Amino acid sequence: LPAGGASLRLCSSRAAQEGINRPVIDRIIRVDHAGEYGANRIYAGQMAVLGRSSVGPIIQQMWNQEKDHLKKFNELMVAYRVRPTVLLPFWNIAGFVLGAGSALLGKKSAMACTVAVEESISEHYNNQIRTLIEEDPEKYKELLQVIKQFRDDEQEHHDIGLEHDAEATPAYSVLKTAIQLGCKAAIFLSERI
Amino acid sequence: VRCQHYPPLRALQASAVLRRASDEHKKEPLASSSQQHFDSPPAGYQPEQEPQGPRPSYTGQGGQESEDYESEEQLQHRILTAALEFVPEHGWTAEAIAEGAKTLGLSVAAAGMFHSDGSELILHFVSECNAKLSELLEKEQKLVQLGEAEKKPIDKFLRDAVEARLRMLIPYIEKWPQALSVLLLPRNIPSSLSLLTSMIDDIWHYAGDQSTDFNWYTRRAVLTGIYNTTELVMMQDSSPGFEDTWRFLENRVADAMTMSNTASQVQSTGEAVVQGLMGAAVTVSNAETSRAVR
Repeated sequence: LPAGGASLRLCSSRAAQEGINRPVIDRIIRVDHAGEYGANRIYAGQMAVLGRSSVGPIIQQMWNQEKDHLKKFNELMVAYRVRPTVLLPFWNIAGFVLGAGSALLGKKSAMACTVAVEESISEHYNNQIRTLIEEDPEKYKELLQVIKQFRDDEQEHHDIGLEHDAEATPAYSVLKTAIQLGCKAAIFLSERI
Repeated sequence: VRCQHYPPLRALQASAVLRRASDEHKKEPLASSSQQHFDSPPAGYQPEQEPQGPRPSYTGQGGQESEDYESEEQLQHRILTAALEFVPEHGWTAEAIAEGAKTLGLSVAAAGMFHSDGSELILHFVSECNAKLSELLEKEQKLVQLGEAEKKPIDKFLRDAVEARLRMLIPYIEKWPQALSVLLLPRNIPSSLSLLTSMIDDIWHYAGDQSTDFNWYTRRAVLTGIYNTTELVMMQDSSPGFEDTWRFLENRVADAMTMSNTASQVQSTGEAVVQGLMGAAVTVSNAETSRAVR
Protein backbone atom coordinates (compact mmCIF):
# COMPACT_ATOMS: atom_id res chain seq x y z
CA LEU A 1 0.00 0.00 0.00
CA PRO A 2 1.41 3.32 -0.89
CA ALA A 3 2.51 5.35 2.09
CA GLY A 4 2.61 8.71 0.46
CA GLY A 5 3.20 12.07 2.03
CA ALA A 6 1.18 13.15 4.99
CA SER A 7 -2.23 14.43 4.16
CA LEU A 8 -2.78 15.84 7.58
CA ARG A 9 -3.87 19.33 8.15
CA LEU A 10 -1.72 20.51 11.00
CA CYS A 11 -3.48 23.44 12.55
CA SER A 12 -1.15 26.15 13.62
CA SER A 13 -2.55 28.25 16.34
CA ARG A 14 -2.71 31.63 14.65
CA ALA A 15 -5.52 33.80 15.81
CA ALA A 16 -8.70 32.96 13.98
CA GLN A 17 -9.50 35.58 11.41
CA GLU A 18 -12.16 33.69 9.63
CA GLY A 19 -12.18 33.67 5.90
CA ILE A 20 -9.31 36.11 5.39
CA ASN A 21 -7.00 35.22 2.56
CA ARG A 22 -3.97 35.13 4.85
CA PRO A 23 -1.15 35.02 2.31
CA VAL A 24 -2.55 37.91 0.30
CA ILE A 25 -3.25 40.13 3.29
CA ASP A 26 0.11 39.28 4.84
CA ARG A 27 1.95 40.44 1.74
CA ILE A 28 -0.13 43.56 1.32
CA ILE A 29 0.38 44.77 4.85
CA ARG A 30 4.03 43.80 4.98
CA VAL A 31 4.97 45.57 1.77
CA ASP A 32 2.86 48.64 2.54
CA HIS A 33 4.40 48.91 5.97
CA ALA A 34 7.86 48.66 4.44
CA GLY A 35 6.91 51.26 1.84
CA GLU A 36 5.69 53.81 4.34
CA TYR A 37 8.73 53.15 6.49
CA GLY A 38 10.98 53.75 3.51
CA ALA A 39 9.07 56.88 2.48
CA ASN A 40 9.52 58.22 6.01
CA ARG A 41 13.26 57.73 5.77
CA ILE A 42 13.42 59.31 2.33
CA TYR A 43 11.74 62.46 3.57
CA ALA A 44 13.94 62.43 6.67
CA GLY A 45 16.98 62.39 4.40
CA GLN A 46 15.61 65.20 2.29
CA MET A 47 14.84 67.29 5.38
CA ALA A 48 18.33 66.73 6.73
CA VAL A 49 19.71 68.51 3.68
CA LEU A 50 16.96 70.85 2.58
CA GLY A 51 15.24 71.42 5.92
CA ARG A 52 16.22 75.07 6.09
CA SER A 53 15.66 75.88 2.45
CA SER A 54 12.57 77.25 0.79
CA VAL A 55 11.10 73.81 0.16
CA GLY A 56 11.67 72.76 3.76
CA PRO A 57 8.11 73.41 4.92
CA ILE A 58 6.55 71.55 2.02
CA ILE A 59 8.77 68.51 2.53
CA GLN A 60 8.00 68.61 6.25
CA GLN A 61 4.31 68.61 5.51
CA MET A 62 4.59 65.60 3.20
CA TRP A 63 6.77 63.87 5.77
CA ASN A 64 4.14 64.38 8.46
CA GLN A 65 1.55 62.68 6.28
CA GLU A 66 3.89 59.74 5.74
CA LYS A 67 4.36 59.49 9.48
CA ASP A 68 0.60 59.15 9.85
CA HIS A 69 0.56 56.48 7.17
CA LEU A 70 3.27 54.53 8.95
CA LYS A 71 1.39 54.78 12.22
CA LYS A 72 -1.71 53.34 10.57
CA PHE A 73 0.20 50.43 9.11
CA ASN A 74 1.84 49.71 12.44
CA GLU A 75 -1.65 49.33 13.87
CA LEU A 76 -2.82 47.13 11.01
CA MET A 77 0.30 45.00 11.31
CA VAL A 78 -0.42 44.27 14.96
CA ALA A 79 -4.13 43.72 14.33
CA TYR A 80 -3.56 41.21 11.53
CA ARG A 81 -0.47 39.70 13.18
CA VAL A 82 1.67 40.24 10.13
CA ARG A 83 5.42 39.79 10.17
CA PRO A 84 7.42 42.88 9.23
CA THR A 85 9.95 42.51 6.44
CA VAL A 86 13.38 41.45 7.58
CA LEU A 87 14.86 44.12 5.30
CA LEU A 88 13.66 47.00 7.49
CA PRO A 89 17.13 47.99 8.73
CA PHE A 90 18.26 48.06 5.12
CA TRP A 91 15.34 50.24 4.00
CA ASN A 92 16.15 52.49 6.96
CA ILE A 93 19.57 53.30 5.55
CA ALA A 94 18.72 53.06 1.86
CA GLY A 95 15.76 55.40 2.24
CA PHE A 96 17.76 58.00 4.10
CA VAL A 97 20.60 57.82 1.60
CA LEU A 98 18.20 58.18 -1.32
CA GLY A 99 16.51 61.18 0.26
CA ALA A 100 19.72 62.89 1.29
CA GLY A 101 21.43 62.03 -1.98
CA SER A 102 18.67 63.40 -4.14
CA ALA A 103 18.49 66.52 -1.96
CA LEU A 104 22.24 67.10 -2.28
CA LEU A 105 21.77 67.21 -6.05
CA GLY A 106 19.42 70.15 -5.56
CA LYS A 107 15.88 71.10 -4.72
CA LYS A 108 14.56 70.05 -8.12
CA SER A 109 16.22 66.65 -7.80
CA ALA A 110 14.64 66.15 -4.43
CA MET A 111 11.28 66.90 -6.00
CA ALA A 112 12.08 64.55 -8.88
CA CYS A 113 12.84 61.80 -6.36
CA THR A 114 9.52 62.50 -4.68
CA VAL A 115 7.69 62.33 -8.01
CA ALA A 116 9.34 59.04 -8.94
CA VAL A 117 8.69 57.37 -5.58
CA GLU A 118 5.14 58.61 -5.23
CA GLU A 119 4.29 57.51 -8.74
CA SER A 120 5.57 54.01 -7.99
CA ILE A 121 3.68 53.89 -4.75
CA SER A 122 0.43 55.10 -6.29
CA GLU A 123 0.64 52.46 -8.99
CA HIS A 124 1.42 49.84 -6.37
CA TYR A 125 -1.54 50.86 -4.22
CA ASN A 126 -3.78 50.75 -7.26
CA ASN A 127 -2.69 47.17 -7.93
CA GLN A 128 -3.49 46.24 -4.38
CA ILE A 129 -6.89 47.88 -4.56
CA ARG A 130 -7.62 45.87 -7.66
CA THR A 131 -6.50 42.65 -5.97
CA LEU A 132 -8.65 43.26 -2.91
CA ILE A 133 -11.68 44.19 -4.98
CA GLU A 134 -11.26 41.01 -6.99
CA GLU A 135 -11.06 39.02 -3.76
CA ASP A 136 -13.98 40.42 -1.82
CA PRO A 137 -14.68 44.13 -1.48
CA GLU A 138 -17.03 43.61 1.46
CA LYS A 139 -14.70 41.54 3.58
CA TYR A 140 -11.78 43.92 3.10
CA LYS A 141 -13.76 47.13 3.26
CA GLU A 142 -11.71 48.77 6.00
CA LEU A 143 -8.40 47.88 4.42
CA LEU A 144 -9.61 49.09 1.03
CA GLN A 145 -10.65 52.40 2.52
CA VAL A 146 -7.25 52.88 4.10
CA ILE A 147 -5.36 52.02 0.93
CA LYS A 148 -7.56 54.24 -1.22
CA GLN A 149 -7.05 57.16 1.13
CA PHE A 150 -3.31 56.64 1.18
CA ARG A 151 -3.17 56.30 -2.58
CA ASP A 152 -4.88 59.67 -2.88
CA ASP A 153 -2.37 61.19 -0.47
CA GLU A 154 0.56 59.80 -2.41
CA GLN A 155 -0.93 61.07 -5.63
CA GLU A 156 -1.13 64.51 -4.04
CA HIS A 157 2.55 64.33 -3.07
CA HIS A 158 3.34 63.38 -6.64
CA ASP A 159 1.49 66.43 -7.91
CA ILE A 160 3.22 68.70 -5.39
CA GLY A 161 6.55 67.39 -6.63
CA LEU A 162 5.61 68.23 -10.20
CA GLU A 163 4.45 71.70 -9.17
CA HIS A 164 7.89 72.36 -7.70
CA ASP A 165 9.74 71.91 -10.97
CA ALA A 166 10.66 68.27 -10.62
CA GLU A 167 10.69 67.86 -14.38
CA ALA A 168 13.22 70.65 -14.78
CA THR A 169 15.86 68.49 -13.12
CA PRO A 170 18.83 67.71 -15.29
CA ALA A 171 18.71 64.01 -16.29
CA TYR A 172 15.16 63.83 -14.99
CA SER A 173 14.13 60.76 -16.93
CA VAL A 174 17.30 58.86 -16.02
CA LEU A 175 16.90 59.69 -12.35
CA LYS A 176 13.22 58.84 -12.41
CA THR A 177 13.72 55.50 -14.15
CA ALA A 178 16.52 54.49 -11.81
CA ILE A 179 14.50 55.34 -8.71
CA GLN A 180 11.41 53.56 -9.99
CA LEU A 181 13.41 50.43 -10.76
CA GLY A 182 14.71 50.53 -7.20
CA CYS A 183 11.15 50.88 -5.92
CA LYS A 184 9.99 47.89 -7.94
CA ALA A 185 12.83 45.79 -6.53
CA ALA A 186 12.05 46.97 -3.01
CA ILE A 187 8.39 46.07 -3.41
CA PHE A 188 9.23 42.63 -4.81
CA LEU A 189 11.59 41.83 -1.97
CA SER A 190 9.51 43.24 0.86
CA GLU A 191 6.50 41.21 -0.18
CA ARG A 192 8.46 38.04 0.15
CA ILE A 193 11.15 38.48 2.72
CA VAL B 1 -7.70 28.41 13.84
CA ARG B 2 -5.52 28.74 10.87
CA CYS B 3 -4.53 25.37 9.50
CA GLN B 4 -1.71 24.37 7.26
CA HIS B 5 -2.58 22.01 4.46
CA TYR B 6 -0.48 19.19 3.19
CA PRO B 7 -0.81 17.36 -0.10
CA PRO B 8 -3.51 14.70 0.00
CA LEU B 9 -2.65 11.10 0.34
CA ARG B 10 -3.49 8.69 -2.38
CA ALA B 11 -4.51 6.03 0.04
CA LEU B 12 -8.25 6.11 -0.18
CA GLN B 13 -7.83 2.54 -1.32
CA ALA B 14 -6.19 1.75 1.98
CA SER B 15 -8.97 3.23 4.00
CA ALA B 16 -11.56 1.43 1.93
CA VAL B 17 -9.83 -1.88 2.48
CA LEU B 18 -9.45 -1.39 6.17
CA ARG B 19 -13.07 -0.43 6.48
CA ARG B 20 -14.02 -3.67 4.85
CA ALA B 21 -11.79 -5.57 7.21
CA SER B 22 -13.11 -4.00 10.35
CA ASP B 23 -16.04 -5.55 12.09
CA GLU B 24 -18.14 -2.93 13.62
CA HIS B 25 -17.45 0.46 12.37
CA LYS B 26 -19.32 3.62 11.66
CA LYS B 27 -21.52 4.20 8.75
CA GLU B 28 -19.19 6.49 6.78
CA PRO B 29 -19.37 6.38 3.06
CA LEU B 30 -16.19 6.73 1.07
CA ALA B 31 -14.89 10.16 1.85
CA SER B 32 -15.28 12.33 -1.16
CA SER B 33 -14.34 15.59 0.43
CA SER B 34 -10.67 15.15 -0.29
CA GLN B 35 -9.40 16.00 -3.69
CA GLN B 36 -9.72 12.58 -5.23
CA HIS B 37 -12.91 10.83 -6.08
CA PHE B 38 -13.70 7.25 -6.86
CA ASP B 39 -15.88 6.59 -9.81
CA SER B 40 -16.78 3.22 -8.44
CA PRO B 41 -15.76 1.52 -5.24
CA PRO B 42 -12.81 -0.87 -5.40
CA ALA B 43 -13.66 -4.42 -6.25
CA GLY B 44 -15.12 -6.41 -3.47
CA TYR B 45 -16.03 -3.48 -1.33
CA GLN B 46 -19.33 -3.95 0.36
CA PRO B 47 -20.86 -1.15 2.30
CA GLU B 48 -21.85 -2.52 5.63
CA GLN B 49 -24.84 -0.40 6.10
CA GLU B 50 -27.03 1.46 3.73
CA PRO B 51 -24.88 3.62 1.49
CA GLN B 52 -25.10 7.20 2.57
CA GLY B 53 -24.07 9.61 -0.07
CA PRO B 54 -25.09 13.21 0.27
CA ARG B 55 -28.80 13.21 0.85
CA PRO B 56 -30.95 15.38 -1.31
CA SER B 57 -32.07 18.31 0.72
CA TYR B 58 -35.76 18.03 0.20
CA THR B 59 -35.99 16.46 3.59
CA GLY B 60 -35.16 19.89 4.92
CA GLN B 61 -32.59 18.49 7.32
CA GLY B 62 -29.61 19.87 5.53
CA GLY B 63 -27.34 19.65 8.56
CA GLN B 64 -27.59 15.91 8.79
CA GLU B 65 -25.51 14.92 5.85
CA SER B 66 -22.28 16.57 6.96
CA GLU B 67 -22.41 14.90 10.35
CA ASP B 68 -22.36 11.41 8.88
CA TYR B 69 -19.49 12.29 6.63
CA GLU B 70 -16.00 11.82 7.83
CA SER B 71 -13.21 13.09 5.67
CA GLU B 72 -9.98 11.24 5.26
CA GLU B 73 -8.23 13.89 7.28
CA GLN B 74 -10.59 13.55 10.18
CA LEU B 75 -10.11 9.81 10.15
CA GLN B 76 -6.36 10.18 10.20
CA HIS B 77 -6.62 12.67 13.05
CA ARG B 78 -8.69 10.22 15.04
CA ILE B 79 -6.26 7.38 14.45
CA LEU B 80 -3.25 9.47 15.43
CA THR B 81 -4.92 10.80 18.53
CA ALA B 82 -5.79 7.27 19.54
CA ALA B 83 -2.23 6.17 18.80
CA LEU B 84 -0.75 8.65 21.27
CA GLU B 85 -1.71 6.55 24.24
CA PHE B 86 0.49 3.72 22.95
CA VAL B 87 3.54 5.90 22.37
CA PRO B 88 5.07 5.53 25.84
CA GLU B 89 5.14 1.79 25.23
CA HIS B 90 5.90 1.48 21.51
CA GLY B 91 7.57 4.79 20.75
CA TRP B 92 6.67 6.96 17.78
CA THR B 93 6.27 4.05 15.44
CA ALA B 94 3.89 2.29 13.15
CA GLU B 95 3.14 -0.11 16.01
CA ALA B 96 1.70 2.67 18.10
CA ILE B 97 -0.41 3.79 15.15
CA ALA B 98 -1.58 0.23 14.55
CA GLU B 99 -2.59 -0.12 18.19
CA GLY B 100 -4.42 3.18 17.97
CA ALA B 101 -6.28 2.03 14.89
CA LYS B 102 -7.26 -1.16 16.69
CA THR B 103 -8.86 0.76 19.54
CA LEU B 104 -11.01 2.54 16.99
CA GLY B 105 -12.10 -0.77 15.59
CA LEU B 106 -10.08 -0.40 12.44
CA SER B 107 -7.63 -2.80 10.91
CA VAL B 108 -3.94 -2.56 11.82
CA ALA B 109 -3.34 -2.02 8.11
CA ALA B 110 -4.40 1.55 8.81
CA ALA B 111 -0.83 2.20 9.88
CA GLY B 112 0.09 1.79 6.24
CA MET B 113 -1.44 5.20 5.59
CA PHE B 114 1.45 6.78 7.39
CA HIS B 115 5.19 6.89 7.17
CA SER B 116 6.96 4.14 9.08
CA ASP B 117 9.12 6.59 11.02
CA GLY B 118 6.14 8.08 12.81
CA SER B 119 6.57 11.56 11.29
CA GLU B 120 2.89 12.28 11.01
CA LEU B 121 2.24 11.04 14.51
CA ILE B 122 4.87 13.36 15.95
CA LEU B 123 3.80 16.34 13.87
CA HIS B 124 0.21 15.68 14.86
CA PHE B 125 1.23 15.60 18.51
CA VAL B 126 3.18 18.85 18.24
CA SER B 127 0.31 20.51 16.48
CA GLU B 128 -2.15 19.38 19.15
CA CYS B 129 0.14 20.64 21.91
CA ASN B 130 0.43 24.01 20.22
CA ALA B 131 -3.33 24.23 19.90
CA LYS B 132 -3.73 23.40 23.60
CA LEU B 133 -1.18 26.07 24.49
CA SER B 134 -3.05 28.65 22.43
CA GLU B 135 -6.32 27.76 24.13
CA LEU B 136 -4.68 28.07 27.50
CA LEU B 137 -3.15 31.46 26.70
CA GLU B 138 -6.44 32.66 25.22
CA LYS B 139 -8.30 31.67 28.39
CA GLU B 140 -5.76 33.43 30.58
CA GLN B 141 -5.99 36.52 28.45
CA LYS B 142 -9.77 36.57 28.81
CA LEU B 143 -9.43 36.36 32.59
CA VAL B 144 -7.09 39.33 32.59
CA GLN B 145 -9.44 41.28 30.34
CA LEU B 146 -12.36 40.56 32.64
CA GLY B 147 -10.27 41.79 35.53
CA GLU B 148 -10.35 38.45 37.26
CA ALA B 149 -6.61 37.96 37.09
CA GLU B 150 -3.52 40.10 37.33
CA LYS B 151 -1.55 40.82 34.21
CA LYS B 152 1.73 38.98 34.53
CA PRO B 153 5.06 40.73 34.00
CA ILE B 154 6.68 39.64 30.75
CA ASP B 155 9.34 37.39 32.21
CA LYS B 156 6.84 35.47 34.31
CA PHE B 157 4.48 35.21 31.37
CA LEU B 158 7.14 33.75 29.09
CA ARG B 159 8.33 31.37 31.79
CA ASP B 160 4.84 30.09 32.47
CA ALA B 161 3.98 29.70 28.80
CA VAL B 162 7.16 27.75 27.98
CA GLU B 163 6.75 25.64 31.10
CA ALA B 164 3.13 24.85 30.28
CA ARG B 165 4.08 23.82 26.78
CA LEU B 166 7.02 21.67 27.89
CA ARG B 167 4.95 19.96 30.56
CA MET B 168 2.84 18.49 27.78
CA LEU B 169 5.87 16.39 26.87
CA ILE B 170 6.13 14.76 30.26
CA PRO B 171 4.01 11.67 29.53
CA TYR B 172 6.14 11.01 26.44
CA ILE B 173 9.46 12.18 27.77
CA GLU B 174 11.19 8.81 27.43
CA LYS B 175 10.54 8.67 23.71
CA TRP B 176 10.83 12.38 23.02
CA PRO B 177 14.51 12.34 21.97
CA GLN B 178 13.50 9.94 19.20
CA ALA B 179 10.76 12.34 18.17
CA LEU B 180 13.18 15.26 18.08
CA SER B 181 15.49 13.42 15.73
CA VAL B 182 12.59 12.57 13.42
CA LEU B 183 11.49 16.21 13.41
CA LEU B 184 14.95 17.14 12.21
CA LEU B 185 14.76 14.93 9.13
CA PRO B 186 15.05 17.12 6.03
CA ARG B 187 11.64 15.96 4.89
CA ASN B 188 10.03 17.17 8.08
CA ILE B 189 11.94 20.36 8.64
CA PRO B 190 9.54 22.71 6.82
CA SER B 191 6.60 21.45 8.89
CA SER B 192 8.39 21.25 12.22
CA LEU B 193 9.99 24.66 11.74
CA SER B 194 6.66 26.17 10.82
CA LEU B 195 4.97 24.66 13.88
CA LEU B 196 7.78 25.94 16.09
CA THR B 197 7.68 29.48 14.70
CA SER B 198 3.92 29.77 14.95
CA MET B 199 4.02 28.56 18.56
CA ILE B 200 6.66 31.13 19.47
CA ASP B 201 4.73 33.82 17.63
CA ASP B 202 1.61 32.87 19.57
CA ILE B 203 3.40 33.15 22.91
CA TRP B 204 4.70 36.60 22.04
CA HIS B 205 1.31 37.67 20.76
CA TYR B 206 -0.36 36.79 24.05
CA ALA B 207 2.56 38.31 25.95
CA GLY B 208 1.50 41.57 24.35
CA ASP B 209 4.30 42.05 21.85
CA GLN B 210 3.43 44.84 19.44
CA SER B 211 6.77 45.39 17.78
CA THR B 212 6.74 46.22 14.10
CA ASP B 213 10.45 46.67 13.59
CA PHE B 214 13.43 44.37 13.77
CA ASN B 215 12.62 43.66 17.41
CA TRP B 216 9.92 41.36 16.08
CA TYR B 217 12.66 39.05 14.87
CA THR B 218 15.00 39.51 17.80
CA ARG B 219 12.35 38.63 20.34
CA ARG B 220 11.21 35.55 18.51
CA ALA B 221 14.76 34.37 17.93
CA VAL B 222 15.59 34.77 21.61
CA LEU B 223 12.48 32.94 22.77
CA THR B 224 13.08 30.13 20.27
CA GLY B 225 16.56 29.75 21.70
CA ILE B 226 15.19 29.64 25.22
CA TYR B 227 12.56 27.08 24.30
CA ASN B 228 14.92 24.77 22.42
CA THR B 229 17.64 24.78 25.03
CA THR B 230 15.15 24.23 27.83
CA GLU B 231 13.64 21.33 25.91
CA LEU B 232 17.08 19.74 25.58
CA VAL B 233 17.81 20.25 29.27
CA MET B 234 14.51 18.59 30.04
CA MET B 235 15.55 15.48 28.11
CA GLN B 236 18.52 15.07 30.42
CA ASP B 237 16.78 16.11 33.60
CA SER B 238 16.22 13.52 36.29
CA SER B 239 15.39 15.82 39.18
CA PRO B 240 12.03 15.44 40.93
CA GLY B 241 9.30 17.29 39.06
CA PHE B 242 11.87 18.56 36.57
CA GLU B 243 12.78 21.37 38.95
CA ASP B 244 16.24 21.70 37.40
CA THR B 245 14.62 22.39 34.06
CA TRP B 246 12.32 25.07 35.44
CA ARG B 247 15.22 26.72 37.22
CA PHE B 248 17.23 26.67 33.97
CA LEU B 249 14.26 28.23 32.20
CA GLU B 250 13.96 30.96 34.82
CA ASN B 251 17.64 31.81 34.46
CA ARG B 252 17.51 31.94 30.66
CA VAL B 253 14.47 34.21 30.67
CA ALA B 254 16.17 36.46 33.24
CA ASP B 255 19.27 36.57 31.01
CA ALA B 256 17.13 37.62 28.07
CA MET B 257 15.51 40.41 30.08
CA THR B 258 18.90 41.64 31.25
CA MET B 259 20.22 41.59 27.70
CA SER B 260 17.35 43.66 26.43
CA ASN B 261 17.68 46.15 29.30
CA THR B 262 21.38 46.45 28.68
CA ALA B 263 20.79 46.95 24.98
CA SER B 264 18.40 49.83 25.54
CA GLN B 265 20.72 51.37 28.12
CA VAL B 266 23.61 51.20 25.69
CA GLN B 267 21.46 52.84 23.06
CA SER B 268 20.36 55.75 25.28
CA THR B 269 23.91 56.25 26.52
CA GLY B 270 25.12 56.31 22.95
CA GLU B 271 22.51 58.87 21.97
CA ALA B 272 23.40 61.05 24.96
CA VAL B 273 27.09 60.90 24.05
CA VAL B 274 26.37 61.90 20.46
CA GLN B 275 24.28 64.83 21.61
CA GLY B 276 27.03 65.89 23.95
CA LEU B 277 29.58 65.82 21.16
CA MET B 278 27.30 67.78 18.83
CA GLY B 279 26.80 70.39 21.55
CA ALA B 280 30.54 70.62 22.07
CA ALA B 281 31.12 71.03 18.33
CA VAL B 282 28.56 73.83 18.08
CA THR B 283 30.06 75.59 21.09
CA VAL B 284 33.56 75.41 19.65
CA SER B 285 32.45 76.65 16.25
CA ASN B 286 30.57 79.55 17.86
CA ALA B 287 33.62 80.41 19.91
CA GLU B 288 35.80 80.40 16.79
CA THR B 289 33.34 82.57 14.88
CA SER B 290 33.08 85.14 17.65
CA ARG B 291 36.91 85.19 17.97
CA ALA B 292 37.27 85.65 14.19
CA VAL B 293 34.77 88.51 14.25
CA ARG B 294 36.78 90.28 16.95
